[in-house]
Amino acid sequence: MAINVNTVYTTVLSILNKEQRGYITPFEFDQLATQVQLELFEKFFEDYNQYLRMPRTNVEFASRIEHIRNEFQVFQTNNNASAHTANTYTQPVDLHRFGSVNYNKGFNSPEIEIVSARDYTEQTLSPLTTPTSDFPIAKYKQDKITVFPSVTNTYTNNDVTFNYIRKPANPVWGYSVGSLGQYIYVPGTSQNFEISDTQQTEVILEILKYSGIIIRDPSIIQMASQELQQEEVNTKR
Amino acid sequence: MGLLTQSNEQYYGSQQVFVATAAQTQFTWTGGADRSNSAYGVNLIPFIDGVSMSNFEVYINNVKIDQGPGAGKYQVSSTNAITLGTGSTLNDVVKILLKDIKAGKWNNHDTYQYVSIRNIINNFKMAYVGDGKLISRVNRADIIFHAKRSLQEFSYDTLKSTRSQELTVPSSLSLLIPQDYVNYVSFFRIDNAGVQHPIYPSNSLHQSPQQVPVQDGSGIPTQDDAADNLEGTSITNERWGDTADYKISGAYTDQMFNDGIYDWGWEKVSLGQRYGLEPQTSQSNGWFNFNEREGKVMFSSNLANQLIIFNYISDGLSADEDMKVPKMAEEAMYMYMLHAILSSKIGIPEYIINRYKLQKRAALRNAKIRLSNIKLQEIVQVMRGKSKWIKS
Repeated sequence: MAINVNTVYTTVLSILNKEQRGYITPFEFDQLATQVQLELFEKFFEDYNQYLRMPRTNVEFASRIEHIRNEFQVFQTNNNASAHTANTYTQPVDLHRFGSVNYNKGFNSPEIEIVSARDYTEQTLSPLTTPTSDFPIAKYKQDKITVFPSVTNTYTNNDVTFNYIRKPANPVWGYSVGSLGQYIYVPGTSQNFEISDTQQTEVILEILKYSGIIIRDPSIIQMASQELQQEEVNTKR
Repeated sequence: MGLLTQSNEQYYGSQQVFVATAAQTQFTWTGGADRSNSAYGVNLIPFIDGVSMSNFEVYINNVKIDQGPGAGKYQVSSTNAITLGTGSTLNDVVKILLKDIKAGKWNNHDTYQYVSIRNIINNFKMAYVGDGKLISRVNRADIIFHAKRSLQEFSYDTLKSTRSQELTVPSSLSLLIPQDYVNYVSFFRIDNAGVQHPIYPSNSLHQSPQQVPVQDGSGIPTQDDAADNLEGTSITNERWGDTADYKISGAYTDQMFNDGIYDWGWEKVSLGQRYGLEPQTSQSNGWFNFNEREGKVMFSSNLANQLIIFNYISDGLSADEDMKVPKMAEEAMYMYMLHAILSSKIGIPEYIINRYKLQKRAALRNAKIRLSNIKLQEIVQVMRGKSKWIKS
């Protein structure tokens, strides 16, 4: 479940305003929120890689791998190519991390293996490994894949389906200005954090860390950094 | 979930019947899955743009309709799907029936005993490759390579991959080698009773030359404008074709009988009149040899216009529909691939490789025993010959 942007903003303001330390505007908050969400989002994949190389458990609620998968599953999506020229297909415009791509012209839509130009040459030179519609291969460059074998003259964007991670939408704390000049939260124009609410503490601490830089308060930075470090140590132990 | 995907009607009847809704035009044959899913990779009703498929027929209320565009006809609109030119009436009975030919009914049957090479590759990848498995990562091309190599190797000495053709030897006494030929198993001449008689390789008697250069008066090969040796016709082959077979085999002809060449009374046959015959050539079925130069099989003159059966082996990779493995040998193929991949990767401990070397051997031995099809009842029948008295 997503994190409510208003909850985060009000929590951050509550902590910052304690002892009249400072204040960040909605515009500054939106920028910090975007930055923090992207940082945590990118960290998912590094953590996932680390967890795959660590001893694992299958006990429910205790598996770190399952947990981290759940964190980024909301961003996982499938889409056909956004454009094509013959057997060269352009990846979807919102693709952020490439996962796999399937060939819908083959039986049961087999996965296309992405190969380097050198591997492509080697594979096509061997009669035993020449690509077939059941075992297609592709070269991937400049956001496009060129699929082999090129078995037909009719091509459409639906020939290939990309499985990928899209980028999260930027959080926005939507507001209107009240009669006293105060900011009033407007849910309709707001965009919540898309990362899961299990990350809410990290989001608030990270935003606090950056807020400390904005309001030039080292104690905020230090406090937030210590908390984050402690949590990081705990999750990687 | 069971592996069968065809209904009884689709398999035994090679047909699928639909009760149409009003104005329904599209009907999809769902019985293509057995072959395309688990066996071969060939759809029973394929869609090839602009090509009429002739391996099935369509009936509406038991009246056959034609293939083609327009009202009252049907077309294959996509794989396994037909579209009628005119919408059906409610409760019309539409039937798709495979024809009694190879591309139709024959292909629809005899499938469950095999597993396709595609499924072998997919199964292997699923079971043995991945995070936390024996092979953490391997290129799919490597799996495909070893799968196809194993199919080739198995085809030579393990699988029931013998192919056969029934042919008539023309008066030219030569036949083209089959397109997917790898090695021969046997040739038989078929007599009027349909009984087969083995034909033997000519070996020491005759062989077709691989090159027949045209020589000048000094015996030097002559060349054409492209500086290549000129090729002539083989006189050896001509002479072999002209040779009467009985002159070699010592067969007794009607003319000999009439001329009284041998005193061929039964009581004298065993007295050694034909003593000295070479047993290897003392047969009247005929000979064959391979003419590598022309890509043909050559036969001796007595086989002209005779019916023969040509048994040979292929490597199992000649066509997509050939790339199949008997289920009896499926495990042996996985073990072969596993050992081949492990032994070609760097950093795999030798004891692991040895483990799978043993597994491969054991599985291959099992496959051979299974495929040799030894049935106790049949052995018993052969052994009944023991009770027969042999006179001396």
